[in-house]
Amino acid sequence: MTADSSRPSPKPTTKAPPKWLEPLVLLLPAGVWLLLLLVIPTLLIFELSLVPAIRPGQVVNPSGLENYFRLLQPDYLPVLGRSLFFSLSTTILTLLLGFPVAYWIALKIPKQWQNLVLLSFVLPLWTSSLLRSYAWITILRPTGVMNTALNLLKLPSLDILNREPAVLIGMTYSLLPYMVLILYAALEKLDRRLLEAAADLGATPSQAFWQITVPQSFTGIAAGALLVFITGMGDFVNPELLGGASSMTVARLIYNQFLGVTQNWGFGSALSMLLTLVVSIAIALLLKYGDRNAASGV
Amino acid sequence: MPPRRSALTARSRRRFLQTSAAIAAGLASHGCGWTLAEVRPASAKGDKDKLSIYTWESYIDPALIDTFHTHTAVDVTYDIYDSNETMLATLRSGKGTNYSVIYPTDYAIADMIERKEVITLDKSRINGLENLMPQFQDSPFDPNNAHSVPVSWGTTGLIYNANEIKTEITDWSDLWALKSQLTRRMTLLADVREVMGATLKSLGYSYNSTNPAEIQQAYTKLTELKPAIATFTTDAWQNQLIAGDYLLCMAYSMDAVTAIQENPDLNLRYVIPKSGTSLWSDAMVIPVTAPNPDVAYEWINYMLQPAIAVDITKRLFFATPNQAAYDQLPNPVRNNQNLFPPEATLKPCERIITLPPQVSEIYDRYWTRLTSK
Repeated sequence: MTADSSRPSPKPTTKAPPKWLEPLVLLLPAGVWLLLLLVIPTLLIFELSLVPAIRPGQVVNPSGLENYFRLLQPDYLPVLGRSLFFSLSTTILTLLLGFPVAYWIALKIPKQWQNLVLLSFVLPLWTSSLLRSYAWITILRPTGVMNTALNLLKLPSLDILNREPAVLIGMTYSLLPYMVLILYAALEKLDRRLLEAAADLGATPSQAFWQITVPQSFTGIAAGALLVFITGMGDFVNPELLGGASSMTVARLIYNQFLGVTQNWGFGSALSMLLTLVVSIAIALLLKYGDRNAASGV
Repeated sequence: MPPRRSALTARSRRRFLQTSAAIAAGLASHGCGWTLAEVRPASAKGDKDKLSIYTWESYIDPALIDTFHTHTAVDVTYDIYDSNETMLATLRSGKGTNYSVIYPTDYAIADMIERKEVITLDKSRINGLENLMPQFQDSPFDPNNAHSVPVSWGTTGLIYNANEIKTEITDWSDLWALKSQLTRRMTLLADVREVMGATLKSLGYSYNSTNPAEIQQAYTKLTELKPAIATFTTDAWQNQLIAGDYLLCMAYSMDAVTAIQENPDLNLRYVIPKSGTSLWSDAMVIPVTAPNPDVAYEWINYMLQPAIAVDITKRLFFATPNQAAYDQLPNPVRNNQNLFPPEATLKPCERIITLPPQVSEIYDRYWTRLTSK
C-alpha cells in the first residue's frame, strides 16, 4: 500500500484499498460467524459421529463408521421413514392448501389490502409452537372441541389425536404460513398480460392456469416445498405431543441419544449428520430449482 | 399460593422431554484426542448475605424465603427448572455459577457426584439429619447421604377413574387384564426406565434389571399392551383424564395426589402397584461452584427443621422424608396413603439406579422399537 503512494496518479487511489479486498472485508464478519458457529461445530459433530458409544467425559478418538452402519439396522429405518413421511405429507398438504390462498391474495385482493391479509396469515407464527400444539390437543381430543361440534351435527366422533392425522394437522398448521408467504412472493410477480393474452387466444381458465400460472410460479413452488420439507424434518414438538405412542421421529431419537438413558453422543451425532445430509440435499435442490428471491423474502 | 402448574409449565419429575435444553460441549485437550466434557466454570464470588437457589417450581415460595430472611438476614433469590436435564444443561454450559443450593432427583445426583460437580457435605455443620426417616439416611447412589440431603420423596403408580373402571386395580398386571377396555384410553410415562421397570416388576423381576433376557421379555409383554397405550406422557395426562378421554394413567404420586385433591367429585384413585414400583426423592446439594457455601449450609439446616418441613408438606403435595415433621402433620395429610404409603406397600419398591452403558443401550433399543412400531 505504501508503495502505491509513491506512484504518481491523477486519482487519489492511494487511500482506497485494492478491489479484491472489498468482498473480503464485506464478507469477513459473516464469514467468521459462519466458521465459528456453523462450520466448526458441524465438523466437531462429524468427528464425534465417528466414535462408537462415546459418552460425555470420554476421550474422542475417531475410529470408524460404526455409528453410520447402525443407522441401517431395522430398528432405525422405520424412524427415518416416519420423519420423511410426516415431512413429505406436510409439504404436499401445505402446497395444496397454500396455493389457492397465495393466489387469492396475490391476484384477487386489492393491492392496499394485501399486506394486511398477509399479516393476518403470519400472525400465528408469533405464538409459541408448543402453545399451538397444546391448542390442537384441546381441539382434537376425543371429548374436545372438534368432536363436540361433530356430535352437535349428529355426526360420529373422530378419534384422531395420538395418531398420524393429528401430527399432519399440527405440522401443516405450523408450516402453512411459510408456504403462503413464498408462493405469494412468486405469484405477485406473475405477468398478468400473459393471462390476458391466453384468454384472448381462447384458452380456458384451467388451460391458462396450468400452462402459464404454474410454470411461472414454479420456482416459488419449489422454494416453498423445500423450505417446508426442511423445517418438517426437524420438527420435534408436533410428533411428540400429537403423535401418540408410535411417533418416534429422527429429531426425538437424536434427543434420546444425547439426553436419554444411553447418553450415546456418538450415535446421536451420526443421526444428526444424517438429518443434516437430508436437509443439505433439499437445500441443494432449492438453490438449483428454487426462486432464491422468494425464499429470501421470508 | 399461586396455581401450581398449568399444562404448559407442568414440571416432570425426571427425564422430561424438554425441547430446548442447550448442551454446550467444552473441549479439553487430552492426549491425542480431546475429551467430550462440559464447561467447567470458575465459581463466582458471593456476598455473605445473599443466597441463590435453583429448584423445582413451588419447592420454594415467598413465605419460606421471608421466614428464612427474618432468621438469618440473608436475601434469597431463586430460579426454576422443569426437568433435571434442563438443570444439568444450565450448569454445564457455565451459566449456573451463582447457585449455592440445587435440588436434583436421584439419578441426577448420581450423575453430579460422578462428575464431581457437588461438594462432599461437612456433616458437622448440618443439624437435624437424625430426623430423617431411616430409609432416607442412605441411598444406593449416595451412600450415607455424603453429598445430598433429601427434601421430598414419592412413588410412581397408576391413577384411574373408578367410576369408569369397575374392577379394583391393585397391580401392574391389571393393565394387561383390562387392556381391551383400556384400548387407546391409557397413558404411560414418557420414560423408558419407568415403563420398562414397571413391566419388569409385573414379571417378578427387578425395576433395575440388567439381564438382557428379562428386558426382552418385558419388551415383548409391553408390545401386547401397545394397542391400549394412547401415548407416553409425563404430565400431559391430567386434563384428559379429568375430561374422561383417558381412563388410566401412569403417574408420579405428587401429580396424582394433586389431580385427586383438585377433583374431589371424580372418584379418581391412585394405586401403588403391589408387586412394587419405583421410589424417588429430590435432595439438596451444594455445587462445587457455589459462591456461598456457608449460607447454603444455613439453608439446608433451615429446611431440615421439622416445623418448616411440616409447613411445606401441607402446602405442596409431596411427602417429607423428615420423621419429626411427619409426626407433627395434621391427620388428614399424615393418613393420606397415597403420600405416605404403609411400610408393607413400600417394601417391594426400588430406587431407579443408573445402569451400565451397555445395558442402557438395550433399554434404548427396545424403547425405539416400541415407540416406532
